[in-house]
Amino acid sequence: MRISSSTLYDVNVAALNQQQGKMLHTQQQVSSGRRMLTAADDPAAAAHALELTQSDATIAQYAKNIDASQHLLSTSEGVLQTVTTLLQDIKTVSISATSPAMANTDRQIIASDLRGRLDELISLANSTDGLGNYLFSGFQGKTQPFATTAAGVQYMGDDGQRLSQVSANRQLSGSDSGADIFMRIKNGNGTFVTQAAVTNTGNGIASQGNVINPALLTGHNYQVTFAVAGGATTYTIADTTNPANPVNAQPPTPYVSGQAISFDGMQFDIQNTPANGDQFTVVPSTSESVFKTISDMINALSTPIAPGSAADNAQLTINLNHAQNSLDRGLDNILTIRASMGSRLNELDAMKSSGADLSLQLKQALSLLQDVDYNKAITDLTQQQTGLQAAQKSFLQVMNLSIFNYMP
Amino acid sequence: MGTDIFGVSVSALNTAQIGIATTEHNIANANTAGYNRQLVVQAARPAQLTGAGYVGQGSDVASIKRVYDQFLSAQVVQEQATSTQLNTYYDQIQQINNMLADPNAGLSPALQDFFGAVSSVSSAPESTPARQTLLSNAQVLASRFQTMNQRLIDLNNSVNNQLTNSVTTINGYAKQIAALNQDVVTATAQAGGKPPNDLLDQRDQLVLQLNQEVKANVVKQDDGSLNISIGNGQLLVVGAQAFSLQTVQSLNDPTKLEVAYGVTAGNIIRMQQSGIQGGNLGGLLNFRSQSLDAAQNSLGLIAMGFAGTFNQQHQLGQDLNGVLGGNFFVQPVPVVNNSTSNTGAAVVGASVSSYSALTGSDYSLQFNGGTSYTLTRLSDNTVTNIPGGLPQTVDGLTISVAGAPVVNDSFMIRPTVNGALSIAVAITDPAKVAAAAPIRTNATLTNNGTGKISAGTVNAPPPVTPDPLHPLTDQNLQQPVTITFTSATTFDVTGTGVGLPAIGVAYTSGGNISYNGWTAQITGVPSTGDTFTVGPNTTASSDNRNALLLGGLQTQSTLLGGTTSYQGVYGQMVTQVGNKTREMQVTSTAQETMLQQTIQAQQAVSGVNLDEEAANLLRYQRAYQAAGKAMEIASTMFDTLLSLGR
Repeated sequence: MRISSSTLYDVNVAALNQQQGKMLHTQQQVSSGRRMLTAADDPAAAAHALELTQSDATIAQYAKNIDASQHLLSTSEGVLQTVTTLLQDIKTVSISATSPAMANTDRQIIASDLRGRLDELISLANSTDGLGNYLFSGFQGKTQPFATTAAGVQYMGDDGQRLSQVSANRQLSGSDSGADIFMRIKNGNGTFVTQAAVTNTGNGIASQGNVINPALLTGHNYQVTFAVAGGATTYTIADTTNPANPVNAQPPTPYVSGQAISFDGMQFDIQNTPANGDQFTVVPSTSESVFKTISDMINALSTPIAPGSAADNAQLTINLNHAQNSLDRGLDNILTIRASMGSRLNELDAMKSSGADLSLQLKQALSLLQDVDYNKAITDLTQQQTGLQAAQKSFLQVMNLSIFNYMP
Repeated sequence: MGTDIFGVSVSALNTAQIGIATTEHNIANANTAGYNRQLVVQAARPAQLTGAGYVGQGSDVASIKRVYDQFLSAQVVQEQATSTQLNTYYDQIQQINNMLADPNAGLSPALQDFFGAVSSVSSAPESTPARQTLLSNAQVLASRFQTMNQRLIDLNNSVNNQLTNSVTTINGYAKQIAALNQDVVTATAQAGGKPPNDLLDQRDQLVLQLNQEVKANVVKQDDGSLNISIGNGQLLVVGAQAFSLQTVQSLNDPTKLEVAYGVTAGNIIRMQQSGIQGGNLGGLLNFRSQSLDAAQNSLGLIAMGFAGTFNQQHQLGQDLNGVLGGNFFVQPVPVVNNSTSNTGAAVVGASVSSYSALTGSDYSLQFNGGTSYTLTRLSDNTVTNIPGGLPQTVDGLTISVAGAPVVNDSFMIRPTVNGALSIAVAITDPAKVAAAAPIRTNATLTNNGTGKISAGTVNAPPPVTPDPLHPLTDQNLQQPVTITFTSATTFDVTGTGVGLPAIGVAYTSGGNISYNGWTAQITGVPSTGDTFTVGPNTTASSDNRNALLLGGLQTQSTLLGGTTSYQGVYGQMVTQVGNKTREMQVTSTAQETMLQQTIQAQQAVSGVNLDEEAANLLRYQRAYQAAGKAMEIASTMFDTLLSLGR
C-alpha cells in the first residue's frame, strides 16, 4: 500500500492527541478524586449519585429534627419529673392532714403550704422550652397555657401535638398537650365517684370503691339513702337517671359498717354510723384538672370543723380521700405520659443511630459510584505515560527515515 | 537520419524535464491540503517507417494527470460532513454536560438546602430566623434555576451566532466554487480538453470545506462544472452562479434564528430545518432541537412543577399572622407564540391545570376551520384532534382562544420553556410562610367518653365552594363547627357550611368526618353529650403541620404523571444529557476514525510520498542524463561523418 507522507504525520499527531486526551482525563480523575468528571462518564451512575446525595441530605435533616425533638422531649420530661415529685409531696402532706390530732389551725397551715405548692405547679405547667415557647400549650406556643381565673385554673391552649419528621415515614410528637397532662384526669376511682351529701348529720364515710364487673356498668347517677328506725339502720339504692332500674325495687338492706355495698358492677363500703336521712351519691367520674383537685383539697382543709361535729369530720375525710384518689390518678396520668415520652426518646435515639448507619452506607455507595479508584487510576496513568513516550519516540524515528538522507 | 537522432534525444530531454518539474511540484505540494499528486503520462511518438521497419521517434508527454479516485474523494466529503456534524453537536452538548457536572453548582444542592430549611421551619415554626433562612434558601434556589436557564439561553444565542457565521462561510464557499466552475470550464477549453489539475484540486477542497459547514450534494456537469445543492434539494451553486443562504427569525419563536434560502434580497424561502443535515449547520440545528430545547424544557418543568405544587400546598396552610397562605413562589406560566405568518387575529392562551400531567414537550396548534384544531406534541409527534373547539385540556394544559383564527393559522405552545426563567420568591416577610394548618380540632375538656379527635387535615383542591380570595380552599374552612354526640353511635354536626347542620350522623370509630373542606377522624368510645370542635387555628405559632406537608413534597412523586419527584426529573435530565453527550462522544470518535481511515485510503491513492518522489527525481535525472549522453553520441556520430570528407 502506498503511504502518503502527510498521512504519516497526521496519523501520528492524531494518535498523540488521543493519548494525551486520555492521560489528561486520568490525571483529572486523580487530581479531583472523582471517577465521574461529568455525567457523560457514567450517566446512570450520575443520576443514581444524585438520588443518593438527596437521601443523605434528608437523613442529615432528620438528624437535626431528631435533635430538636429530643431537646423538646427531654425538657418536657424534666419538667414533668419535677411535677411528679411535687404531686408526691402534696400527697404526703395531705395524708398527714387526715390525722385526727390536727386542729383547725394546723390544717390551715397545711392549706397555706399547699397553696404555695399549687402556684409552683401552675408555674411548672407554664414552663417554656428556653426559646420562649410554652411546652404544654399545643399549637399556641406563645400563649400561656394555664391561667388562674375566678373559675379556677383554665387551659388556654389546644390539643395540638407538635410533630417532627424524624425519618422518611415516621412523624413523632415532640410535645404533649397540657390538657392531656393536667386537665383530662378522671376523678374518684376513674369510673365513679362516691360523695356524702353536705346535709348529712352522721359520721358515715364512703370509700372510693372499685369496679367489680365492667360489663354491668351503666354510667347512671345513684343515691344511697339511710334510714334509722328502731335502732336498725337500713339503706336503699336509687338509680336517679333511670327509675326503671331493678335496683330501685330492692327492699331496704340492713347496714353493717364496712360491709361491701355492690350494685350494677360497682362496689364500695360505708363505715361508721350514718344518721337517719343521710345520703351518699354515686356518680360517673368526670374530668377534673389536677389543679382543681389540689384546690378542692385546700378548700377542704381550710374549712373549719365545728368542734365535735362528727359530720364535719366525716365530710373532711371523704373530701380528702376523694382528693387523694384524684391526685393518685393525676400522678398515674403524668407517669404514663412520662413513660410515653421516655419511649419516644428511646425511639429517637434508635432512629438517630440507624440514621447514622444508613448515612454511612449511603456515603459508601456514593463513594463507590463517584470516587476514583486510585490504584487503578495511577496504574492507568503510568500505562498511558509509557504508551505516549513510545509513540513519541517511534514517531521521531520513523520521521528520520527518508531517501533524501542518502541522496548526494 | 542524423537529425532524427537529435529529435529523439530532445524529446527525451523534454520529457525528463517535465517529469522533474512535475515531481518538484509534487514535493512542493506534499503538505498542501486537498492536493492530489500529479503524474506525467508519457507516450512513445509514432514510429517512422523505413526499409528496416518502424524506427522509434522518441517520446512525448501525453498529459499530466492528477491521481484522483472519484469514489474515495466523494466518500471523504460525506464522512467529513457527518463527522463535523457530530463534532459540533458534541462540542455544544458538552457545555450543558459540564454545567450539570459540577456537584456544587447543580440544582440538587440548592433543592436539598431549600428543603432542609423547610424542615428547620417545621422544627421551629415560630422562629423568625428559621423562616428567614427558608426565604434566603428559596432565593438561592430560584436564582440557581435562573442561572442554569441563563446558561441555556446563552447557548441558544451562541447557536444563533454560529448559525449566522456558518451561513456566511457557506455563502463565501458557494461564490468561490461558482467562480472556480467558470475558471475550470475556461481553462479546460484553453488546454484543449486537458484537465487544469490544480484548479480542480482547489475546487474539490472548497467542496470539502463546504461539507464541513453543511452536507452538500454535488452533481458534475458535462462541461466540468459542479452543481451543488443542500437540504431538500435547494441549489446553492449552478455553474458560475451562486445562490445565498441567510438566517431569519423563526416564525414560531422569536428567540431562534433559522436558515432560509435567499433567492433575491427581500425574497426568502423558508427551509425545513430538519432537512438540513451534516456539517456545522446540521450539528447546531440538531443540537438545538434535540438537546438544548429539551434541557430547557426539562429544567422549566422542574421549576414550574416545583413552584406549582409547593404553592398549592402553601395555600392550604396558614401563616404566622393567622392568614391563609398565598403563593410562595411566583408561578411561571406557559408561553404561546403566534406564528408570524398568521393572518387571523386570534390569541391563544394556555394555562396549567395539572402539574403532574405536564410533559415538558412543546406543542404546535393548528386551526383547521370551523371549530376544529389539531394539536401536535412535538416531542413524539402525537397528534390530538380537537373537533369541538377550545378551551380544551390536553396533558395538563388548558388551551383557550380569544378572537377569530383563520384556517392554517398556527400557534406554538411552549408550556415549560420559561419555567426556570420566571420562577422567583413571591414573599419577603418571614411571617408569611404558611407553616401552620388553618384549622384545629379540640375535644371538650368535660367529655366523659374516651373519644379522641385527630388533628384534622385540609382537603386537597379543588374545594366544593371555593373561597373567592383563596380559590384552593373552601370558603367555610375556618367556620367553627361543633360535633355533639347524641348517643354512643350518632352525632350532630352544627355550624356554618354546606350540609350543616347535620343531624343523627352515624358514628364509626376512625371514619372520616368531612365538612367545609376539612377532614378529621374521631376514634374511641365517646359518651352521649361529648362534644368536639373544629375551628380556626388562631395564635398557632407552634403549629408545623403545613410545614411538614411542604417538607414531604421533597420526596413525593408529584411530577410526570405522579411517577417521580423534583429531584427525579432533574436526575432524568442529567441522565439524558449525560447519555447524549456520551453517545456523541462515542459516535463522533468513531466517525472521526472512519474519516481518518477514508482519508488514509484516499491519500494512499492521491497523496504525495516523498520517498517515491525522490525515486522519481532520480529516475527523471537518469533519463535526462541518458538523453544527454545520447545527444553526445549523436554529435560524435555527426563529427565522424564530417571528418570522412577531409
